Amino acid sequence: MTQGKTGTELAEPPKKPVTVSINGNAYRADEGECLLTVAERVKIPIPHFCFEQSLEPYGACRLCMVGVVHHGKTVMETACTLRAKEGLTVLTDTPDIVKYRTILFELYLAEAPKSAVVKEMAARYGVTKTRFLRRVDTGDPLGGACILCGLCVRVCNEIMGAGAINFINRGPYTVVNTPFTEPSRDCYGCGACAAVCPTHAVSLEDRGGERILHSWSETKVPLSQCVSCGKYFAPAALEKSVLSRIEPPLRDDLEGLCPACRAKKLAKKEILAATGGDPGDA
Amino acid sequence: MTGVFDRAAGEVAGQKKILPGKPRIAVGLATCGIAVGGEKVYERLQEIIKKTGVDISLAKTGCIGYCREEPLVNITIPGKPLVILHKVTEEDAEGIVEAVKKGTVPYKKALCRVPSWDHVTGTVITYGNGFDEIPLYADIPFFKHQKKVILRNAGFINPEDIDEYLAVGGYAAAEQALTRMDSETIISEVEKSGLRGRGGAGFPTGMKWRITRDAPGAAKYIICNADEGDPGAYMNRNEMESDPHMLIEGMIIGAYAIGAKEGLIYIRAEYPLAIRRLVHAIGEARALGLLGKDIIGAGFDFDIRIATGAGAFVCGESTALVASIEGRTGRPHPRPPRLTDPGGGLWGIPSDLNNVETWCNIPVIIRNGSGWYAKIGAEKNAGTKVFSLVGKVDRVGLVEVPLGTSLNTIVCDIGNGGAQGKKVKAVQTGGPSGGCIPVRLFDTPVNYESLNAVGSIMGSGGIVVMDEDTDMVDIARYFINFATGESCGKCVPCREGLRHTLILLNRLIARKGTAKDLETLALLADTIKNTSLCGLGQSAPNPVLTTLAYFREEYDALVKP
Amino acid sequence: MEEKTLEEIIARYDSPTGKVLGILGDIQRSEGYIPRETLEMLSVKIDVRISQLYSIVTFYSFFSLKPVGEHVITICMGTACHVRGAVGVLDALESLLDIHGDTTEDGKFSVTTKDNKFTVEIARCFGACSMAPVLQIDGTLYGYANPDTLPAILEQYGWRAA
Ligand SMILES: Cc1cc2nc3c(=O)[nH]c(=O)nc-3n(C[C@H](O)[C@H](O)[C@H](O)COP(=O)(O)O)c2cc1C
Ligand code: SF4
Ligand code: SF4
Ligand code: FES
Ligand code: FES
Ligand code: FES
Repeated sequence: MTQGKTGTELAEPPKKPVTVSINGNAYRADEGECLLTVAERVKIPIPHFCFEQSLEPYGACRLCMVGVVHHGKTVMETACTLRAKEGLTVLTDTPDIVKYRTILFELYLAEAPKSAVVKEMAARYGVTKTRFLRRVDTGDPLGGACILCGLCVRVCNEIMGAGAINFINRGPYTVVNTPFTEPSRDCYGCGACAAVCPTHAVSLEDRGGERILHSWSETKVPLSQCVSCGKYFAPAALEKSVLSRIEPPLRDDLEGLCPACRAKKLAKKEILAATGGDPGDA
Repeated sequence: MTGVFDRAAGEVAGQKKILPGKPRIAVGLATCGIAVGGEKVYERLQEIIKKTGVDISLAKTGCIGYCREEPLVNITIPGKPLVILHKVTEEDAEGIVEAVKKGTVPYKKALCRVPSWDHVTGTVITYGNGFDEIPLYADIPFFKHQKKVILRNAGFINPEDIDEYLAVGGYAAAEQALTRMDSETIISEVEKSGLRGRGGAGFPTGMKWRITRDAPGAAKYIICNADEGDPGAYMNRNEMESDPHMLIEGMIIGAYAIGAKEGLIYIRAEYPLAIRRLVHAIGEARALGLLGKDIIGAGFDFDIRIATGAGAFVCGESTALVASIEGRTGRPHPRPPRLTDPGGGLWGIPSDLNNVETWCNIPVIIRNGSGWYAKIGAEKNAGTKVFSLVGKVDRVGLVEVPLGTSLNTIVCDIGNGGAQGKKVKAVQTGGPSGGCIPVRLFDTPVNYESLNAVGSIMGSGGIVVMDEDTDMVDIARYFINFATGESCGKCVPCREGLRHTLILLNRLIARKGTAKDLETLALLADTIKNTSLCGLGQSAPNPVLTTLAYFREEYDALVKP
Repeated sequence: MEEKTLEEIIARYDSPTGKVLGILGDIQRSEGYIPRETLEMLSVKIDVRISQLYSIVTFYSFFSLKPVGEHVITICMGTACHVRGAVGVLDALESLLDIHGDTTEDGKFSVTTKDNKFTVEIARCFGACSMAPVLQIDGTLYGYANPDTLPAILEQYGWRAA
């Protein structure tokens, strides 16, 4: 892994309050805070696809462009990579931004013609048609809805540490999938990719004792069955990796239980401990 | 390890090789010379010399850059001028050896003579006089308007022999810097020289060095960008193949000034010969104590590694380049952090990235002084620049001129206009990131600002000439097709925008386009330029924008009425 | 590729700097392509996820996952070669070798003849632009290529006119 590429961490420690101006109104922010976060907090809409609080800004979707006013000149920058500082002045809807945003939305409408999310978001900014040729995707595992924001890849690699999926090819040929477009052995089946996907492009389903990740070359991951109630509750590999982070005595107690039964068992244990009973026969 | 570096000893040994006191035949063997049979000429000469047992020293040199006349062979007969033979074939080998045996040269093959050569860093090699019927180097139109500073040794010395580099003043600058100058003096010399980055954007080199040196943390990297991704540009290849030690010397000085212990050359895989010569040169430099521990006895440790690319134009971009070296795909990330920032460089360490030719400028600046250097070139554009003049031009080749020289001088005086007597119509500078400049703007001086003003860029120095037969819309399509294939695919304007630009251009060329398509084309190009994440997307529309501006009639002619 | 050979290649790289691309480049040069088993073996040996290696191999045009023919012909499609007629050379080559190339879905251009004798690929620039158009066969560069000189060059590699 690369070391030290963590702009947020570096900017973090001194949380000095500053005032930034967005569309002519003043707002409080922490120095170094991501401008897109500030805007979201104060409910100023800035469209975006590739930003996720827990990951470094990625700067790929280009939708979050704002105009930064500096010495009377306005320069475009992406809000996700902008850091709040005293006197920062930005405009979210300059004529240039409207012009470029329209084209970007049209490009997205052509790239992911099946995505309802893209359609809705574009419509909110007045873009309902595209003058560009739509992609015809026959049998696209992401259902013609992927806009290559990279969030699934980054969550899978950087947060889950599974590294099951990645980008394949480059330029307009880029897709996301498993290597050799074959079922992955590294996939935990955690579904974080599907949860993070802004366009709901990732398709998966739990069927029988398995989770099937349709979008990822039909990767199948076995689910654990609860030893107490018999329900399938989580991908086995994921359960193992979660349990490995828990202290051994407790781990032995919880192994094989679904979250509901776990809670019951823990509650029982606490009651018994409080009343001085013997937990052994739980 | 050998003892303390002894420049003088190497210098003497090298001079004996350049002027061996007996005839020397040197064959130009850079990739270009090899591609047109130079190696066969060399082998044939070797065979004949061995068979006949004549006392002739046979050597390899790099390339003097007059590509049209390759293969080139230099002959040095003691006391006589060095004679450059051109368009030499295997069949000529016999005749050459015969002539040399008699103390002369095959006149019919002679291009020009060089009575003495100024290697700029303080050494002038005097060959001799005679052969008056052969034109002088300085009278050859291709050479007459050039000023050789970076290419001062190219084609004269053997790039695989460090002694020959030492013989022409090599490593004197490194010795001077490491033993008699401190970091501050060196950086301020580079700043005062006015040197700007030769990789495209023209960022002041001294300032970049200073920023890297002053960045937090003791560890620093220096990196040489030898990706030379612009198709049609090959000056960096020739610089590395013909004079690899000049680059290494520049990097040693830079490392010392910036405080880097490790340097890296990121070179494209398409340049196997340049890689071999660099590896060999690095080995030679280590053996003489110029790389490794305690360089030149100055108590400074530094070494150079080579990392190879794998065919991706975007990896010339700084953040993609670092990703590639770290073993990832070359997808750029937003800056800051820049390479010079903590967290932004190689393995997160502040790094200084400079182009091959930028590094090559360093020894001469240190040796001759910033004042000397600053006088070459034009206002805010000091020094010379090497251009590769290719395409439909009569005299193709590598051309080195002071910055500020006009396109006219380069294309018409040096290049002699269009090939086969055709009329020149435009040039493309800066490769896929640059723009097409029409012939009516050929009095534009070639400097960073003027090229930007006409919608193009300096880039790394590729100049591709187009003649009256060239279809400019096809050229725009060519570049967009290239950029689409080279886009990393991270951001939508570049990934999707270029693809649709290509679709629109294809539709126009198929005569199915409308005036509305032309409008969309212009708007799309504008969007890509202004919203893309990295320099690739930001500059990829330039060929479309400039051809639209200067050759609009060719687009209009394709549109259905 | 034999495990031992791969280990030898890996041993050439003593620093992580430039290692992954360096190793993949060596495999590509030695085998003419990157065999799947080798890639999987490499993933284990250098502890880099297979998904990342696969991503790299499909990103860079120098790498190929498909075996190539006996001789690899690479045509330069750089600017200098383009304006000097590289497209015509490619067309002629396609008709001489009876192949029909198009960019494939991974965005790379690579076509192999039916008898597996030649693979035709495309490059961006060899830096020999002055001799445009340029083509390369098994590492040897040929300058000033044109449809008329092609047959003679190909014959050196065992090609015969039908
Ligand atoms: C798409 C792209 C390709 C580039 N290719 C090269 C290249 O091949 N060689 C190079 O020196 N710089 C290239 N650059 C510029 C480098 O990013 C960087 O600015 C340069 O190497 C800095 O060196 P300099 O200051 O000496 O010019 C490229 C930039 C972009 C955006
Ligand atoms: S599948 Fe979803 S999360 Fe993954 S890249 Fe595509 S749009 Fe982004
Ligand atoms: S501009 Fe093109 S090459 Fe650069 S990050 Fe965007 S997609 Fe990648
Ligand atoms: S959220 Fe800023 S570029 Fe995507
Ligand atoms: S002939 Fe060597 S660089 Fe042109
Ligand atoms: S453009 Fe073909 S070799 Fe450079």
